[in-house]
Amino acid sequence: MSQKSQSKITVFHCINVFGDGDALPAVASASGELNFIKLPCSSMVKDVFLMRAFEAGADAVVVLVCAEGACRYVEGNLRAKKRVAWIKALLDEIGMDGRRLALFNVAAGDARSAKRFIQEALSVAAALGPNPAAARSRSDVALV
Amino acid sequence: MKIESTGKLQRVLNSGGFAVTAECGPPRGADAEIVRKKGELLKGCVDAVNVTDNQTAIVRMSSIAACAHLVTMGIEPVMQMVTRDRNRIALQSDIMGAYSLGITNILCLSGDHQTFGSQPDALNVFDIDSMNLVRTVQTMREQGQDMSGFELKGAPRMFIGAAANPFADPFEYRVMRLAKKIDAGADFIQTQCVYNLARFKAWMKMAQDEGLTEKVHILAGVTPMKSVGMAKYMATRVAGMDVPEGLIKRMEGVAKPKVAEEGIKICLETIAALREIQGVHGIHLMAIEWEDVVERIVSEAGLLPRP
Amino acid sequence: MIVGEQKPISEIKQIIAPYQKVLILGCGTCVKTCFAGGEDEVAVLASALRLVCKTEGKRIEIEEQTVERQCEDEFIQESAQAVSRNQAILSLACGAGVQAMARRFTTAPVLPGVNTTFMGVLEKPGLFTEECSGCGDCKLAVFGGICPFTRCAKKLLNGPCGGSQNGHCEVSSDIDCAWHLIIERLKALGQMDNLRVYLPPKNWAASLSSGPRKLIREDHML
Ligand code: SF4
Repeated sequence: MSQKSQSKITVFHCINVFGDGDALPAVASASGELNFIKLPCSSMVKDVFLMRAFEAGADAVVVLVCAEGACRYVEGNLRAKKRVAWIKALLDEIGMDGRRLALFNVAAGDARSAKRFIQEALSVAAALGPNPAAARSRSDVALV
Repeated sequence: MKIESTGKLQRVLNSGGFAVTAECGPPRGADAEIVRKKGELLKGCVDAVNVTDNQTAIVRMSSIAACAHLVTMGIEPVMQMVTRDRNRIALQSDIMGAYSLGITNILCLSGDHQTFGSQPDALNVFDIDSMNLVRTVQTMREQGQDMSGFELKGAPRMFIGAAANPFADPFEYRVMRLAKKIDAGADFIQTQCVYNLARFKAWMKMAQDEGLTEKVHILAGVTPMKSVGMAKYMATRVAGMDVPEGLIKRMEGVAKPKVAEEGIKICLETIAALREIQGVHGIHLMAIEWEDVVERIVSEAGLLPRP
Repeated sequence: MIVGEQKPISEIKQIIAPYQKVLILGCGTCVKTCFAGGEDEVAVLASALRLVCKTEGKRIEIEEQTVERQCEDEFIQESAQAVSRNQAILSLACGAGVQAMARRFTTAPVLPGVNTTFMGVLEKPGLFTEECSGCGDCKLAVFGGICPFTRCAKKLLNGPCGGSQNGHCEVSSDIDCAWHLIIERLKALGQMDNLRVYLPPKNWAASLSSGPRKLIREDHML
């Protein structure tokens, strides 16, 4: 297996944190392959989207939501937080490690914090190794 | 109370005496000797001995069998029967079987929920409730019929007891429930352990105001506390138990080797206070796994010799 | 509604282990409302199973479908084609739905993916509570609309046991004592006299005790 391949991170974020014109992609770091998915509100990050991100090969998934109390739709970010917790438990249950998924509160436009959180996810992904489901298919393990 | 005497407990109560009953928990095993040993400790110092029915939902020798062992020793048992484990078919059959073995007193209970016992995975039955069981035994005795209306060949003539817990909630309803048990056919009542005398008195007063103390014999439950740990356990972990803070403090206040002694003292004081309360016709002494203290307590309470 | 809970993934994995092509079939009625087996749950479970199989190097093909109600033939039929394409059906319906599927598709293994737990209500978002046990002989009129057969852990019908304290059941402080609720409610209704009357043993003949029950409506039969 070719190690040292770049970690793949999928970042879901609310457009109220980073809108179209914002410099979010600029935080992309050399050490990772980042995939940004913007949502009108973080509450729209349905369970299945998070799962599909892992199916698509993400080593870690980050959900960036507005600061608590600052959601434009009042409780969207709180809903997102609960969902993330639920899916983290599911990931643990299926042996994928819930730490691969994380949610962070970010003030609107605060690219520095966002960068720090994404960096954090990258180091978690590095520590945990590649997504085990993706790793298998990449290295084309013989099917039993 | 109308029927002729079937046993000593009934005789004592109906003649206006102050009754004393104790408790014997059957072993977790088939050794009858354990029952006999406990019986030996209680013989002569009480009028009747309650035999628990898989108490706290822990599997033990059956109440009927343990009662039968006591009968052969000349000790009068009060067979406890819970509706948790048997449906109406088994309950009625066991009542008749028990009577045929010389068991003449029954205490009708719903029983502790199995969640706390040795088989939390068991299916509970609760086909009928304790109130229905009281009525069933009464119908057998008075009408000579089982629940289906069948005329029994030889009706069991049990002296019928029921439980009351003055310390459970909702408080106002507790007296109403007592009235209902009496209407259903209870001859005597054994209460939850009394530690909170004030609340017990309030309950007795309400019962008296409703004229209930005229209709039923109330035996107040007492349990000597052996240790501070036991006091705390009962205060916090046993459902429907009310142990006032002051009593625990009092137990904590004495030197360790004297704690059991203090527990006995509290018990004797409680008995003395209970005897002053109108309508209390006896005590039910539950010395859990401490049967050898019963004789001493009954004696020091001035309740010996038994009639 | 009927409330159910998805089985743990470990158990589902075991149940579907013999098959490589599995249809996960959701139900869009009760189990959807309690988040056990609607379209969304089908999607998440399918994804989780694919991930887990990939991780473990097992081959699996999962097809997803959700029908309106798995307890009615009319809706079940919509799944016929998908059923024929797969080796087994993992049904996320209640136990009735699973059996209705099994009755319809006699040669396809129909496996349960949900533990059907109770008949209840959505008390508030995210909280479902058991309220009815379908005993066939409703006595709610006497008890102020609160069912002691279902909500009292001892099915008591003549008042609370000695373990009721501060409104909690002796079984757990997380459970309301049904009898406490009944008394509060009857007090508010001015119907406490209901509780003075001795209630004879319940007739369980109308319940499951007598075997599975049937409802026959001649007027709707052809
Ligand atoms: S505490 Fe209340 S709900 Fe629980 S078993 Fe007793 S009466 Fe029933």
